[in-house]
Amino acid sequence: MLQTIRRALTSSAGRAFLELLLVILLGVVFNADGAFFKVGTHRDTLRQASTYGILACGMTLVIITGGIDLSVGSILAVSSVSFSLLMMHMDWPWWLAVIACLVLGSALGSASGALVSNAKLQPFIATLAMMTFARGVAKYITGGQKISTYVTQGDKVIIKELPQIFKFIDSRILGGDLSIVSVIFLVCFLAAWLFLARHRWGRELYSIGGNEEAARLSGVPVRMAKFLAYTFSGLMCAVAGIAQAAQETQGDPEAGAGYELTAIAMVVIGGTSLAGGRGSMGLTLLGILTIGYLQKILSINAVPEAGRLMITGIIIVLAVLTQKRRTK
Amino acid sequence: MKSILKFALCAVLLCFLATMPTFAAGRTYVIGMSQCNLGEPWRVQMNADIKREADKHPEIKMVFKDAQNDVLQQRAQVEEFVSAKIDLLIISPKEAQPLAEPVSKAMAAGIPVIVLDRDIIGENYTEFIGADNVKIGKAVGQWLVKNYGGKGAKVVEIMGLQTSTPGQDRHNGFVDAIKGSDLNVIFRADAKWLEPDARKEMESALARFDKIDIVYGHNDPSAHGAYLAAQAVGREKDMVFVGIDSLPQEGVAYVKQGILNATFQYPTGGDVAIVQALKIFAGAKVEKRIVLGSRLFSKANVDAGGEAIK
Repeated sequence: MLQTIRRALTSSAGRAFLELLLVILLGVVFNADGAFFKVGTHRDTLRQASTYGILACGMTLVIITGGIDLSVGSILAVSSVSFSLLMMHMDWPWWLAVIACLVLGSALGSASGALVSNAKLQPFIATLAMMTFARGVAKYITGGQKISTYVTQGDKVIIKELPQIFKFIDSRILGGDLSIVSVIFLVCFLAAWLFLARHRWGRELYSIGGNEEAARLSGVPVRMAKFLAYTFSGLMCAVAGIAQAAQETQGDPEAGAGYELTAIAMVVIGGTSLAGGRGSMGLTLLGILTIGYLQKILSINAVPEAGRLMITGIIIVLAVLTQKRRTK
Repeated sequence: MKSILKFALCAVLLCFLATMPTFAAGRTYVIGMSQCNLGEPWRVQMNADIKREADKHPEIKMVFKDAQNDVLQQRAQVEEFVSAKIDLLIISPKEAQPLAEPVSKAMAAGIPVIVLDRDIIGENYTEFIGADNVKIGKAVGQWLVKNYGGKGAKVVEIMGLQTSTPGQDRHNGFVDAIKGSDLNVIFRADAKWLEPDARKEMESALARFDKIDIVYGHNDPSAHGAYLAAQAVGREKDMVFVGIDSLPQEGVAYVKQGILNATFQYPTGGDVAIVQALKIFAGAKVEKRIVLGSRLFSKANVDAGGEAIK
């Protein structure tokens, strides 16, 4: 019995769970006059972590191959402004706009994928280039202004009604206790988990991350598997971009700047190795919740910005150190 | 060989002749505009204001450059403008210290310089045009005290980046104005001018306090983000939302839609810069500093174009 507990605690899932518990304990102690105990606080925590979480789903797959995707924040912005433009200014039917954005995001992701798997560029460089390029695309589409319901047509200015789909994505179900954005995140999470844990493609990703040469020799379609990993990440960015647009009620070409780092931190804190080959979606979920709760607790206590940055930095180091012991 | 030379000579002469009519019809003036960063809607608006005003004067030819938030790039752009011998330079500098030197070189080359929005170190420019954030922050505070004072109102302040001067000024002016009143700031957070961050911070404030009467956002997107947070829990009707900047497609549109109760304009000065440039071309003497006035847009006056604040 004791041994089972000890084994559970020393597994990477156990450690990641412990981290999350510690952060939640932090919230129980610094509960900001009871604000931490309200249902709404937890609902909002999950909603706020959802956008990052969707990005982290794609990021996990890429990181398991030993790669990295720096372009997620920029592709999110492209998707967010395209969705707003198609819905608010061009009045497309919502499903067509959603499909267009998903295709666009996947295309940008697959471009990085092709650069990595076919042109053999370092993932860091390839996705850094995509991060820059996609940000340019977002600014080009919008002309540098936010896309909102405030539409200029020639000299006339009209304020349009916010499209229903925006209202729907930003609404809540289960008596107001669960945001639709969080549901979207859970669906993405489930898809990523199925691929990674239950599908052959997932096993291929692990074997590529473990030893790419060995994987190739044992008949794994390395190029295709990697290409698809980046494409999936691009798809996740598109989903996150739509969620972002709905929550902001506008398309901001500057949206998502710096989100890539939060998404990477979530994956790594969970215990997925940046060297590739090790990790899982379950770990990423724990990482997402850990960072999500940390941000919320710092926010409800109105901790000044300088303090927040220092505390977040320290917690990231502590979390990764706990994970590191395992590899002895 | 000779024929080629002759041809070239003729071509050059023809070019001269082609440009003659413009000389005859009066001079054209080339104005260079060095914008520090077009990543912010407010600065895009500044360029648009310049362009709109310049388009009214056919003798003005505008050249716009964007330094993409890079001091050295902006420095290089100023040098390019100087070597292109433009007639006047408008610069909205990224930083005060590093751009003082290139600007003074432009002045030395006989190019008048109008500095927009952010100041530079020293006095070696023709004219500075900018608004005063402390004054605007103060105006927000005074307006709130006048309209909502006397009831012990509880205020949430969603601040702009507190390591930036505009963020500090909009905070300090506000604090100064509500001193001695019964307005009580119960929650302050730095949302770094970003709407998603503002929404997150406001959600925390809502979770913590059951009674919030006033939300002051240091820019309109912050106030809008706070509104969305309050709306999500059905509490937006209990609160007054006030923002700053008043871009036509942001703050002013929010007031028209009934999202914000008021927005205070932080003018770009782009149009004023062109008016002043024409004065300089005409040889008139201009003031060293122009502090732009602000305007208040509220539900009552937004359709009439707002009212000026003294």
